Formats: sequence, structure tokens, C-alpha cells
Amino acid sequence: MTTINNHQDTNTPVTAPVITSSKQPLSTTKSADTQSVLKRLQSELMALMMIGDSGISAFPEEENIFCWKGTITGSKDTVFEGTEYKLSLSFPNDYPFKPPKVKFETACFHPNVDVYGNICLDILQDKWSSAYDVRTILLSIQSLLGEPNTSSPLNTQAASLWSNQEEYRKMVEKLYKPIAAAA
Amino acid sequence: MTIDATSSVCNLGVLESLTADDINEIMESWKGFCLATEALLMNGNAAHLSFGSNLASHAHTLSNHGLDSLLQQHFFCSLEENFEKNGASKFWQHFDAYSDVAALEMSMDPILKDRVQQELCKALEEISFEKQYQEKCLLMLIRALQSNKDIALDKRQSPDAERLHLLSKYQLIVSSVLMATLPRHFPEILHWYFKGRLEELSTIMAEDCEDDNESQGNDDMDLDEKNKLPYRTGDMGVDEFYHRKLANSKLVKNIGMVVRDLRSLGFTSMTEDAYASAILLLLKAKVHNLAGDDYRSSVLESIKGWIQAVPLQFLHALLAYLGESISYDSPSSDLKSPLASHPSSCYAGVDNPSEGLIRWQLRLEYFAYETLQDLRTAKLFEIIVDYPDSSPAIEDLKQCLEYTGQHSKLVDSFISALRYRLLTAGASTNDILHQYVSTVKALRTIDPAGVFLEAVSEPIREYLKGRKDTVKCIVTMLTDGTGGNSNGPGNTGDSLLEELNRDEESQENTGVDDDINTDIKQAWINAERWEPDPVEADPLKGSRNRRKVDILGMVVSIIGSKDQLVNEYRVMLAEKLLNKSDYDIDAEIRTLELLKIHFGESSMQRCEIMLNDLIDSKRTNANIKATINHPSQSGAEALGENEVSLDILNATIISSNFWPPIQDEALNLPEPVDQLLSDYAKRFNEIKTPRKLLWKKNLGTVKLELEFEDRSLQFTVTPVHASIIMHFQDQTRWTSKNLAAAIGLPVDVLNRRINFWISKGIISESLGADSNDHIFALVDGTIDTSRSGANSGGCEELLVVDEDGERSVASVEDQLRKEMTVYEKFITGMLTNFGSMALDRIHNTLKMFCVADPPYDKSLQQLQTFLSGLIAEEKLELRGGMYFLKK
Repeated sequence: MTTINNHQDTNTPVTAPVITSSKQPLSTTKSADTQSVLKRLQSELMALMMIGDSGISAFPEEENIFCWKGTITGSKDTVFEGTEYKLSLSFPNDYPFKPPKVKFETACFHPNVDVYGNICLDILQDKWSSAYDVRTILLSIQSLLGEPNTSSPLNTQAASLWSNQEEYRKMVEKLYKPIAAAA
Repeated sequence: MTIDATSSVCNLGVLESLTADDINEIMESWKGFCLATEALLMNGNAAHLSFGSNLASHAHTLSNHGLDSLLQQHFFCSLEENFEKNGASKFWQHFDAYSDVAALEMSMDPILKDRVQQELCKALEEISFEKQYQEKCLLMLIRALQSNKDIALDKRQSPDAERLHLLSKYQLIVSSVLMATLPRHFPEILHWYFKGRLEELSTIMAEDCEDDNESQGNDDMDLDEKNKLPYRTGDMGVDEFYHRKLANSKLVKNIGMVVRDLRSLGFTSMTEDAYASAILLLLKAKVHNLAGDDYRSSVLESIKGWIQAVPLQFLHALLAYLGESISYDSPSSDLKSPLASHPSSCYAGVDNPSEGLIRWQLRLEYFAYETLQDLRTAKLFEIIVDYPDSSPAIEDLKQCLEYTGQHSKLVDSFISALRYRLLTAGASTNDILHQYVSTVKALRTIDPAGVFLEAVSEPIREYLKGRKDTVKCIVTMLTDGTGGNSNGPGNTGDSLLEELNRDEESQENTGVDDDINTDIKQAWINAERWEPDPVEADPLKGSRNRRKVDILGMVVSIIGSKDQLVNEYRVMLAEKLLNKSDYDIDAEIRTLELLKIHFGESSMQRCEIMLNDLIDSKRTNANIKATINHPSQSGAEALGENEVSLDILNATIISSNFWPPIQDEALNLPEPVDQLLSDYAKRFNEIKTPRKLLWKKNLGTVKLELEFEDRSLQFTVTPVHASIIMHFQDQTRWTSKNLAAAIGLPVDVLNRRINFWISKGIISESLGADSNDHIFALVDGTIDTSRSGANSGGCEELLVVDEDGERSVASVEDQLRKEMTVYEKFITGMLTNFGSMALDRIHNTLKMFCVADPPYDKSLQQLQTFLSGLIAEEKLELRGGMYFLKK
């Protein structure tokens, strides 16, 4: 279930959909040595692969486990149905105490995504907790697609068009340019 | 007047010098000569030889006129005409009656056979007589001409040469006349005649053979001295005996006479063809007869013996009878005496060895080898099927091949037999492996260098690689003396364990592929086992250089890596050990030691730990039982009749890190048993702090006895089955849901497991109110005996065989499948995000990021195979070297 905060300022991030994670937030002691980050990312990858949710996926790029490519497909019964968006995730050295930087690589016509692909989502900013992981981030973004916060938009045109779902769908289709499969 | 005979024809000037008288005289003489010739030849009777003088005088006159060649020509013409009329046509008439019959020779009855033989003899006699008569006439003429010449010329004109020339000319005329009129069936008649005679002879020989069997053995010693001879001459004494017998035998004389007559008629080659083919046919029949379908004895020697005894003796006698005409190098004066050509004198160099006979022998032996080889080659598959028993046949084949060198023929036919008969879906992997091992062993005998073995084994190996249970079967064969095959007790030759044993003494180093060191050892072992090659063998390719053919190595190489094999063995060992109830692992230790020698200490380490676990368990178990302060006795008062003593519990304590993954199944054991287990665990904890026991409650075996009012039954079952039945101890009716909850099993599992008790007639199943909820009830003893009385007596002690093939240890395939699913998910993940990737990038990415347990450790090759599998499942596609997700 997703809940959205409606009473916030324009640039305040949208509250993340609550995706429960069994882990409690860890204390923010700065013990972020690379080894443990590596381990954490590896186990996240393993978990992500093994759970294998449909519609979301991510994998480290080339030989750098701090840079991931993600893939999200639009949920069914939303205007984004049938689309597929590429994301880039880059993890800081003190992950998971700091959130990863997540951007859309595919142009996305969405109230909370700007033309550069930046995403306005609270859990990726001030509401970040080390209990979140790649999977929860991706699920949150997938939910965000279908349920944007139109009251604090990055893309005002999209926000204003949101009410007209039919027109919005046309716009999404018009602007949707999937990235050709990278070699 | 004298005219030079040579110039008379061409010198026309001579004609002028002829006077009318001369011409008259010539005419007269010519007429007289013609008449005399005609009379002489037409009557063909010795009584009319009086014409001879007449002829001679006329010839004399004509010869004086230099008309020798004319005379000769005329005479030959008449001879030819006469021979055609009197000799040839009559001769052929004898056989006219059999022109059809010859074609049907097989169906001929013996009477007819005899008649043909007699006819042939008679015809030959007649024509020979005719020929002799004509020759006599010819000689008469020649004599007349020559005497004339002797008077006329002082110097001799080599009359012998002249005479020989004319006789051979006559011979030519005879054979050309016969050849020209030869009926088509004559060669067949000849062939057939010889065949009949030879058969007769061979029967006589066979009888003699039996008589002389005893004497054969004693004389074998003499043979050694004769080893340098190109062939074994057989038994001297018997030889002589045969020889005398044969020489005196009328049969051979008859044959010899026929052959000689035929020869003189110019049928030399035809005759030879006829008896050669008859002999070969007989030999072939003999080989087939001796070799047959019995592979348990060597037949080569007896075939050789037979060649020696029958056809060679026959030929010997025949050649001897024919005398010089056949002997290739001439001195033949006394060849007619049978003793003269006796082998001993033959080879001692007193007499020239009858080269023709040796040629014949070589020819016959080669033919025999080839026939036997073809026979055995065609049946090689069957021979190898009963390999250890059929080794004599293999030895025979080896010798034949050494002679004929037709190895490639063997390989081709064997491979096609394999493909047709073995490498089919119907053959079980076990059988294929057994056949493979037998093939390796058999071909190792035939071809020590292993070249052909390589060719033959390739298809089998390829095929076995495609079989899923190959590894399992190999491991079973390795560990189990009987090869896990219930084919019978006589199968010990197939056991790979035996191979392990064999290698034990020869290997002190590790590793299968390390051949250099083992070769020396192996060479030594080979040297010890060395046996002299048969004399026929080429010393250049002696068995000394026998290369080691490592069966175990070859079998392991089917699998690809020894790791796979070791892994499978570990699983099998775990299964075996977990099912043991008595800690008796001597056999396993022995096998492990052998495997360690072969595969190296390090790769078997885990297995060793497993065995050590068992040994430790035994000790710990005893220790715990000895020191525990019998809590069960105090419990016994509380538990009443449910009392269980610790004595009934034996634990196998394993270090699970080193064991293959163990199947886990939740299970609630009945209270008393559970209590027992926790007591045991507590005691263990006390002794071995800080270690604790974690029970795998679903594993192990339970021996239990069910007591009914009228009988008691004993079972050995799994803990699940035991706890099921134990629940019926207090409550005789359960619904499946309640029972499942009590035992802690899912309902469907319970339904499956309880089938065991239902099939034993101890529990009955009926439908409850809810269709999903069955009711199980303990069958009352009396009802049971009436319902399944046959069962009650028979199932005293039964080990439950899990019909679903449930095992306590995850099999290697399961492990592999689990690993592969992980990889599949990773591959899907990376392809989702990167679109398409090349093989090596996938490989590298997996290596980098797939670090789970177990980490990615496959080769590029294995990955490719796996990806191909995914493509086949339509999960991936491959375009231009890049892998894509199938949309």
C-alpha cells in the first residue's frame, strides 16, 4: 500500500511508499569501510536476484559494484503500463548510511521526475534509512510512477495533465523513447 | 637327292628340278600316307599299329622330298579332327547327363554323387587312353621322320627338342580342342568332385584323429626344436602315421589319378582352382563349425591342427603322387615315395622342402585366420558381452589380426554394432558402462597400443556423456563390487573396484593424468606378466612395449572431471553412512583409501571427514550412554508403558559443513522419543561443550515391533513412518488433518507416507465428512487377518523402500540444479538491465558478482552449455554472438 503526503512544500520529496523491511535501522556509526559496503551490496544483489520481483531489476555495471543499472516497468492499470524505464543507481562509499543517487536514464514524463531524470522522492533524500535497500528503492519508484505527488511537482506540465489520464497516457506514449539495448 | 627342309617351302626353284617321276612318287606316297594316317587314327586300336610301318615308309619318302612340315601339318590336322570326334565329344557326352544336376549339387543324393564320380573317372580313363594312343601314333611319325633325318644328316639336329616341340604342340591341340568344346558345368563338376572326396577324406581323418589324440600329447616336446620352422609341423609321430596311412589310401591315389589325367588334358589351372576352392570351402566350413558361437575356448590351435591333419596331408599326398610335375624346384626322383617327403626329412634339408606344400600351408592358414577373424569380428559385440569368459576368443582374434592386419575392418564393424545394439535409448546406463569396461579390457588384449580402442570407445563415451545417470552408475561401479548390477554373480570382471585394487600396488603417486611415473611401474608389472609371443608375431611390435590403458582414467574422463565424480561419490557415501545403524564402515574405509590413491588425498578430504564422523559417533555414542545418569528410568515411572530407554538410541553425529546438503523435513516426534533425544543432546552438550546437537529428526531408521492381540509384527522404517504409527498407540482413529498437525507434516506428505501402513494392512483409510479430510483408523487385528492374511506372516522384517525415491541427502543433480537456478536469475538480472551481453561478459560478470554459496565456478564451456539450455527453453536468444532475453 502506498500513502502520499499531500501537505508539503513544492520541493519536499514525496513520502516513500511504506515497504516494510524486517531490519531495523542501524545506528549511524561511521564504520563504512569499503569491504562492508561491498558485502552489503553483494548480499543485496543476491537477494534481489533470488526474490526476482517482476517489473523491477537492477545489476551492477561492468566491474564497479557501486554503479548499478536498474530497470522498472510501468505497473498494470496505470498510464505507464507497457513502458520500461532504465535507471542508474550510484552508491556512496558510506552506503547504506547515505542513500544512493538514483536517476532516470530513459526520459520519463512524470510530475516528480525532471527532464534530466532527477527524481524527487523522500526516501532518497531526508527520509533515507539504512534499512532500505535496492529492492525497496526500486519498488518505491515503481509505485511512484502510478501515484505521483502532483502537489509538489518537478514537472508542472505533467502534474497539470495528471488529472486527464487519457491525455496523459497519450503524452507518455509520445515521449516514451526506450533506450536501445546497450551492447 | 636331298633338299634342305628349311628352304623347301620358299625356294620355288626347287620345283623346277622336280621330275615327273618325283611328282608321281610324291603323289603316291602322299595318298598312301593319308590313307595310313586315316586308318591308324580312325581305328584307334593297337591292333592296327601295323599301319604304322606303312605310314613310316610313306613318310620317309615324302620327307625325302622335303615335305616334313606338310606331313606334320596334315598329321596334326587329322589328329585334331579325330580327337575332336572320338575323344572330346565322347568325353563330354559323359557329363551331359549332369549338366543340370551340377547346378543342384547340394540336393544331390549320394548315389548320384557316386555315379558322377565314377563317370568322371571313366571318362578320364577313356580319353586318356585315346590320348595315349594318339601320342603313340605321333611318336611313330616322329621316329620315322627322325630316322630319315639321321641318315640324311650327319650332324644331329637335337632330335629331343624336336620331339618335345611336337609333343607339346600336340598337347596344345588337345587342350584347345577340349577348351573350345568345354561345357559350362564341367568346372562345377570338378569342384564338386573334389569337395566330395575331401569330405570323405576329412571324415576318415577325423576318425583317425580321435584314435591318436593320446599320442599327440607325448610328442609335443619335439616341437620345441622345430620352432624355427615357419609353422608348427604338428606331431611328428602322428604325421608319419597319417602319412603312411594316406599314401596307402586308395582314395588319395584315385584323386591323384584324376588330377593327373586332368592335368595331361590341359586342365591344370582348372583342376587347381577346383581343388583349391574345395579345400577352402571345407576349411571355411570347418572354421565355422569349430568356432561357432562358443567363445569360451580357443579354436585357433585346433584349426591349425586340422589344416595340418587334413588338407595339408591331402595336398602332400597329392603333390607326392603327381611327382615332379608339381614340385616347384625339381629334384623329384623319389617324391613318389611317401616317406621321402616326410616333413622331418623335408625340413632337415635332405630333400628339398616341397615349396608348393609350404605355399599351400601359408595360403590355408591365412585363409583360416581371415575366416575366423571375419567370424569373430562380426560377433565381437557378443564376445565382449561375456567378456571375461570369452577371452579365449579374444586371444584368437588377436592372433588372427596379427596375421591379417585388418584392424580397421574390426573397428568399423564393431562401432556399427555398438551404435545399433548398445547406444540406444533402451539400453541402461549400467549395461553400457559394463560393456564399455569390457570393451576396454578386451581391446586392450587385442591392441595394446590402444589406437583402435580410442576409435571404438569414442562413440560410447560421447553417448555416455549425454546420459544423466552416468556419474551415478560409475560411482556405484567404483564402490560396489557387483557394479550395482544384479546381472548375476559372474560379473566380477566388470567391477571397477577390482581396477582400483589392481592399480593399488602400481600407483604411489596421485592423479589420473600423471602417466610418466606410472608407466615405469606399469612396465615393470607388464614385464612380470610377460608371456612369450606366439612365433608368428612380429618381434618388432612385441608386447613389451605395451602401453598402459588406464580403465579408471578412461571411465573418469567420460565424466569430464574427477571433481564431479568425487562429488557424486560423496553423496552416495553420505547416503550409505546415514543409513547405517551399526557404525561398521570397514568396506567404506577401504574404498576410500583406494580412491585416495587414485584421485589424490585432497579431493577425498571431505569424504574422509565423513568417515571420521562415523568413527567419532561410535565413540561419543558409547560415551554418552555410559555416562548418562539414566533419566529414562526416572521417566519410565512417569511415562508408564511408553517407556523408552536410551539403550535403543544410536546417534550418528556429523559435521554438516563437510557433508552434502541434507534433506530437511519438519517432524514432531512422539513425546517420549523427543524427550530421549533431548536428554541425549543435553548429555552431549555436557561432554562436548560448547558443541550442541541438532537433530535431523527425519533421518535414520527405526526398528519397531507392533503388538496386536493375536500377533506381533516387526518393521524397520523411517522415523516418519514410526511416528505415524506411534500416534495410533493411544488413539486408534485420526483425521488426516489432525494427524498431520500432530506429526508436523503437511497433509499431502502425510497421505503419501501413511500409504505404507495402509499397504501393510495395519491402518485403513476412509472418507470423512470433509472430502479433503480422510479418516485413518487402526485396523483391528482379527479383521486384518481375514482381510490380508497373506500379509501377516510375510512382513516380519521389512526395510521400507521409499517408493518416491526419497533420499536423506540432496543428490548431486539437485545441488547442481540449485546452483544453476541462481545463475539463471543472475543472468536474467543482468540481461534485463544491459539488454544484451556476449558470452565472456556474462561469464566475467557472474564471476565478479555471483559470490553466493557456492560461488560461481563454472568454465566458459559449461556456461555456454547452460545458456544453450536456456535458449532451448526459450528464455534466451542468441543473435550475432550476443545473448538477449526472449521477450
